Amino acid sequence: MDFMMISLLIYLLGTLTIVFPKRIELFAHYLGMICAALGSGLVAYSALNYLLYPADSWLIETGWGSYSLQADAWSSAFLLLTGVAGVMISLYAIDYGKGYLGNRIRLLSGLWNLFIMSIVLVLISGDAFTFIVAWEIMALVSFLLVNHEAGKKKTVSAAYQYMVMTHIGTAAIMVAFYLVGSSSMSFSFGDMANNSLTGFMKDVAFVCAFLGFALKSGLMPLHIWLPNAHPAAPSHVSALMSGVMLKVALYGFGRFAFQFIGMDVFWYGLVVMVVGLISAFLGVLYATMEVDMKRILAYSSVENMGIIFAAFGCGMVLYAMQQPIISIVAFTAALVHAVSHSLMKGLLFMSSGAVMHATGSKNIELMGGLAKKMPYTALFTLVGSMALSSLPFTSGLVGEWLTLQSFITLAQQAANPELRLLVIFAFIMLGLTGATALGCFVRLYGTAFLGRARSNIVDKAHEMPVFMLLGMGLEAVLIVAIGVMPDILVNMMQQVFSGIAAVSMGTPLGIIWGGSGHYAIYSPGIIFIMFALIGVFMVAALYRSSTFVKQDVTWNCGTVPTSRQQYSATGFSKPLRRAFEGILSPQRTRTYLRKEHAYFGRKLRYDLSIPDLFNDKLYKPMQQWMINSSSAFHKIQEGSVSLYIGYTMVAMIVVLIWGVLL
Amino acid sequence: METLMTSLGLNLVQGILLLIFAPLVAGIINKTKARLQKRRGASIFQEYFDICKWWKKATVLTPYTSVIFILAPVVYFMTSLYAATMVPGFLTGQFTVGDAFIFVYILALGRFFMTLSSMDAATSFGGMGGSREIYISVLVEPAIMLAILINSIRYHSTTLSSMVIDYDGAYFTVSAVLACIAFFLVMLAENSRLPVDNPDTHLELTMIHEGMTLEYSGKLLSLIHLGSYLKIIVFLTMFGALYVPINIPLAVKILLGAIIIGIVETLNNKMRLFKVRVYLGAAIVLLLLAIIAE
Repeated sequence: MDFMMISLLIYLLGTLTIVFPKRIELFAHYLGMICAALGSGLVAYSALNYLLYPADSWLIETGWGSYSLQADAWSSAFLLLTGVAGVMISLYAIDYGKGYLGNRIRLLSGLWNLFIMSIVLVLISGDAFTFIVAWEIMALVSFLLVNHEAGKKKTVSAAYQYMVMTHIGTAAIMVAFYLVGSSSMSFSFGDMANNSLTGFMKDVAFVCAFLGFALKSGLMPLHIWLPNAHPAAPSHVSALMSGVMLKVALYGFGRFAFQFIGMDVFWYGLVVMVVGLISAFLGVLYATMEVDMKRILAYSSVENMGIIFAAFGCGMVLYAMQQPIISIVAFTAALVHAVSHSLMKGLLFMSSGAVMHATGSKNIELMGGLAKKMPYTALFTLVGSMALSSLPFTSGLVGEWLTLQSFITLAQQAANPELRLLVIFAFIMLGLTGATALGCFVRLYGTAFLGRARSNIVDKAHEMPVFMLLGMGLEAVLIVAIGVMPDILVNMMQQVFSGIAAVSMGTPLGIIWGGSGHYAIYSPGIIFIMFALIGVFMVAALYRSSTFVKQDVTWNCGTVPTSRQQYSATGFSKPLRRAFEGILSPQRTRTYLRKEHAYFGRKLRYDLSIPDLFNDKLYKPMQQWMINSSSAFHKIQEGSVSLYIGYTMVAMIVVLIWGVLL
Repeated sequence: METLMTSLGLNLVQGILLLIFAPLVAGIINKTKARLQKRRGASIFQEYFDICKWWKKATVLTPYTSVIFILAPVVYFMTSLYAATMVPGFLTGQFTVGDAFIFVYILALGRFFMTLSSMDAATSFGGMGGSREIYISVLVEPAIMLAILINSIRYHSTTLSSMVIDYDGAYFTVSAVLACIAFFLVMLAENSRLPVDNPDTHLELTMIHEGMTLEYSGKLLSLIHLGSYLKIIVFLTMFGALYVPINIPLAVKILLGAIIIGIVETLNNKMRLFKVRVYLGAAIVLLLLAIIAE
């Protein structure tokens, strides 16, 4: 816990790089990133230490005025995630950040430290005040980081949209804290656990907390800021925002669910679950339609946060059904998936940064064949894409499998048909999500890294410098390590919930889940051994024989194919777009630029846009309503001072009459 | 540990047994189709000869491909073989580590690499096949999930060997029959059979699986074909063991299943690509009813 304090000091030192003189800005950048990596390393170390050897309490410091810091198992899990991601992404940023030399790089590295520090502070805050202050620092610093490339109009509008949305969320969270705090007469987390909220006020507190944290984690329909803000930020910032900041929202929601509000009301969990499931599917569906690499990843974050919240909601439902022991599997699923998502989304945002670095574009329609130009980046991206498609041997499947098991468990507990229908809905959604995610990342990887170059921006692409590869490579190694040996992580994460019930799922054989007569086992180690055995046999068979390999161009009905004849990313997702037309409502326009003859010599321009469902159906009408109602008020509020004095007088008279009459 | 090793060994033996019989089952399907079309048709052992023929031929690679292109058939074959080791075939009751969801995701691993390879040869045929494969898999996946859900509710486990129909209890139920029909529909879609995909042609209007494999030749092609034959026999095994509520030996079920596939393929045309969602929607509704009736 002393380490925690030291790490905060290191972050502060890193933040000081903002005021370094301009002529040593490269040094300032290096210093800033090394500080960030070092501080995060210490955070990860102390959290890991606590999770592996749980002590009684982890209270750090109390009483600097009304500020206090504390950490327990629930925050340690998130501190671990933050620390690990912080180290990797800071290493990556040592080289990546150099692209901002001369473009306020000192500000970028200083704020980077402040950003990680504010996240750590949110996780170790011991009372509502500290939490809100740290939460606000986090929001403001991330706003500044998103707005770093303020020269672009899109960036500025994305940043301000983020700013507005995140403050709506903060307002909701503050209401929730106020309700809980006022009923327990204290704002320290320890005391707030003994609140006396019941009935309607408790419902309000839950709804506010869920609203606030769901907004921050980008659940639908509160996600609209996310696919704009994440692509606008520099890539290492998006990696941290997507990988870590979204999870901090889960941390906050979990604190409310476990400690302040409780999970004994049945419908709380149901709401969380259904919102999570809908976000999961719609998120990945929109991701599959995008051509901007970072927007794909941003929507995929919506999906994964949806899965995480669905698992968490499933746990809340199981807990409300008086099944604390089997609710553990769902909570563990949420946490394991949160950790693995922070790794894989961090990795892919870093690799999108690498691709932007190499080609100068985010549009995958202009790429192709990058695997030959940057083989290591391509390898790491492949690992990340496999993990996000939750394939075997990656950490993605561990969380996904536990999520599926928790829903199966819920199905077996579900005696009433309504709940059974809900489980069916959940399985349909999870099935659709899983398969669409696979399609989404096949499309992303296939278009950007495989095939032939679709434009000349790929020609100058090159492999990345060593620290960028190091950051990505370490994440990829961790993803595979967790994927093959999940028991260490799973055991560590279920330890977090030892307050609810003690369950042991991770064994050297794999994860064994045996709750309430249900039995399931996932042993990736054994699958790995089997695959290795089959693989050795296969490779031997392929390479022992002396059949030769010829090279020849692709068959194209007798003509030499051009690179424009490849399937485009937009074309690849066409069948899905057509199948889910009702949800996506794609807007197509076709303009003839030249049409002298009906069949040849035509020049077409084809525009396709897929408006976000909630943006069109929810936010735009809401915005319109607000503008209309303000213009209605405009009639009585026209800026004339004498009129206002008149209003005051009328109000006074009304009050006086009121007083006399009563 | 020793029992585990024995069990893994037995699983491997089962995988190899299925591998040996896989081309035969494909041959039986083709023979059935030929007979129903009043042709004599090729011998039921023809698929063995084809595999050997392709294995001997040279592999032609296009210069645009990356290592994924060579890796994909290997991974596809390995995932099919692994799926063959884990289905509850001739080793029911043994301690197997085959989880139903892992079964789905192992097959997804193969699909991931095959669709990637389809985009690697830089041709429009490949991309077309890959794109359609993804579309169909998105529709198939919820149905498979529901099919797993039914048996896991009934037998309280998601381990495939525990989900096998228990003939001591009441097994011929409404729910079981509905699930059986639905799984048959899903099986046809998942294995690129008629009426969803036509395994016999390379015509670009119809092709899905064949479109993806258009650029393959030689050893790699033989691996892909062996992999897809394996996938058919694996699904037939799973269908027989988990979903056909009739108490007859599994081998007979597989044989009958192959013949029924042949009959269905003769009686049906390939349906339009966007009709597939109605077809699979029907499967999902059947499964839904089955779960409610459970």
